[in-house]
Amino acid sequence: MRSSMTILFILFNLLSYFTWSVAKKMKDEDFSEFDDFDEDEFVVESPSSPSASQLPSKMQSKKPEVVNTDYSFQSPSSKSADIKVNDEVTIDDEDEDDDLMFDEEEFETSDGYSSSSPTTSTIPDLKITEIPASLTGNHWEAYHCEAIMLLLLLSYLINFLLGRSKNARLADIVYRSQRDLLERNFCLVGDNGQTRTTQSADDSTINDSTTNKMQKESESLYILWCSGRTAIESMLMEVRLAKRQCLFNSLAAMIKSSNDMLIYTADYSKEDMETFVFCLAKKHCAAKLHRDMNDLSQFCSERKTADKRGLNNGNYQILSEIGEVSSAIIDNRVVDFIEKYPDVLEYIHISDQYTGMKIQNDTQQTSPNTANTTSNAGSAAPQQDALNTSERSVRHVLIIAFNLVARNSRSLEITTETVCSDYLRFVLQLIDRVNSFRFTLKESKNKAIKNRQRIEEQFLKNVYQQRQEQAQQRREEKRRAEKEKIMQSDDPERQRKWEEKEHKREMKRRQPKMKQMKVKAM
Amino acid sequence: MEARRQPARIHRFRPALITQTDDALPEYMNLIGMICSMCALMLKIKWCAWIALFAAIVGFANARATEDTKQVLSSLMLSISAVVITYMQNPTPMTIPFFQ
Repeated sequence: MRSSMTILFILFNLLSYFTWSVAKKMKDEDFSEFDDFDEDEFVVESPSSPSASQLPSKMQSKKPEVVNTDYSFQSPSSKSADIKVNDEVTIDDEDEDDDLMFDEEEFETSDGYSSSSPTTSTIPDLKITEIPASLTGNHWEAYHCEAIMLLLLLSYLINFLLGRSKNARLADIVYRSQRDLLERNFCLVGDNGQTRTTQSADDSTINDSTTNKMQKESESLYILWCSGRTAIESMLMEVRLAKRQCLFNSLAAMIKSSNDMLIYTADYSKEDMETFVFCLAKKHCAAKLHRDMNDLSQFCSERKTADKRGLNNGNYQILSEIGEVSSAIIDNRVVDFIEKYPDVLEYIHISDQYTGMKIQNDTQQTSPNTANTTSNAGSAAPQQDALNTSERSVRHVLIIAFNLVARNSRSLEITTETVCSDYLRFVLQLIDRVNSFRFTLKESKNKAIKNRQRIEEQFLKNVYQQRQEQAQQRREEKRRAEKEKIMQSDDPERQRKWEEKEHKREMKRRQPKMKQMKVKAM
Repeated sequence: MEARRQPARIHRFRPALITQTDDALPEYMNLIGMICSMCALMLKIKWCAWIALFAAIVGFANARATEDTKQVLSSLMLSISAVVITYMQNPTPMTIPFFQ
């Protein structure tokens, strides 16, 4: 597809050149009648043609318009007068026969006029009109806006190609630095979900070590699916790079910096994970997650600054549902990692009630769900089917996000190559830690159960309300359709009967419902 | 480490599992491209045609792999045709009204 794009752009350039040549030809044809001028055409026979026509003004640039109507007022003494206009056009009155018309005795002119004859050095007051540059010849400099646009286009294309190749190189480096560790931990590394059979590492061919199994979702997003490991069902690795392929994004990034990120999302089954919601994130990120993530806003009431060893600088904040989780998860390994790689860890989000972001949750809650453990994030389903189920689609996830930043004055590629395997090792350790963690205090478990029951009740109430509204809407539509049908049929009797029925229904609805009491006969 | 691998726990990939981000730039660019192309073709406004072309190219650069390529291509073709047709109708240089 991309190579066909380059061909298309070459075609576009050819087409635009063709358009310019056609436009130039048309313009030349339009103005060809004004191209050649003989000087003789400027000779004006003033006595015979008192109403001499004006010269065409589009002839040449900076040629003044010569108004010949004044010619008729000139004194007869200027028979052979030359009117020199910018020394380029001379109008000669050579026809002496015309003098017969201007007999001196017949016409009297004032002396003032003779003094203002063209034989003197007065130059008539000439108005120079400005002619657009495009009409005066093939001046490409008139098209400066178009040139700027084409230059911008060209620079955007060059930036696209360079940015795309850099992103692809970075993703490749990430994959190659983690490939061995991934293949040692997972049976399935790299799957697009569409091929019939999966390629397990046991059936590896010779080419496997060189082929990049990452999937390209866009020019700035590469994903890798891993599955077949203890403790988790699957792990999705997302390499979310800055949009280097888009020039405008790159310019915007100069104002508001955006990092390249590496996000690992591990999915657990229900039995593999304890029931809690926890998040350790950088300050700015914590606020955003608390606002946008459904589970964090529902289960975690407040944000606390992380003040443990190694996190004293106040960079990180904790959102935790259950108190004991913080000390269990943020152990020495986490602290050591943060000390070794400061500013690399963006956030850790652990949740057994993960339903995505708040905006998308409106569609998620109404999507069908077969079991609580399977995920259905972001899938669009008809609302009708969705309301038949009363279960929320939740996922049990561990999400860790790292920033890919250049360290120790090395380039980004070299840094990425050296540290990626450390990140993956940290992720795998945390996966095992979460899998093995269980509540020690009974009240933690009770609190978790109580919170989940509360949220479940809220959800069921919403679903019930939505169902009621839908049923009401359906009833209204049915009634409307019935009414239309009755009105369209020309039978007045039927109409009357239907109206009566409607009236009765309305009265019945308005009346308060009375409870009937049966009185036993004594 | 090898003991961690469990073939029995293999699950296939589902596209719905990719983290959703609220990035609607390709859709906006598509819309702007189409509107500007129509304006350029009907009202013969040159700078509209150029903006449509830019919008189509930005949309193409930011398009996801799952998106329909026909949509992106048609938007691009429409903007190119808007530029070409606008100049064929009126070959004079473009004038930007805000700067004059």
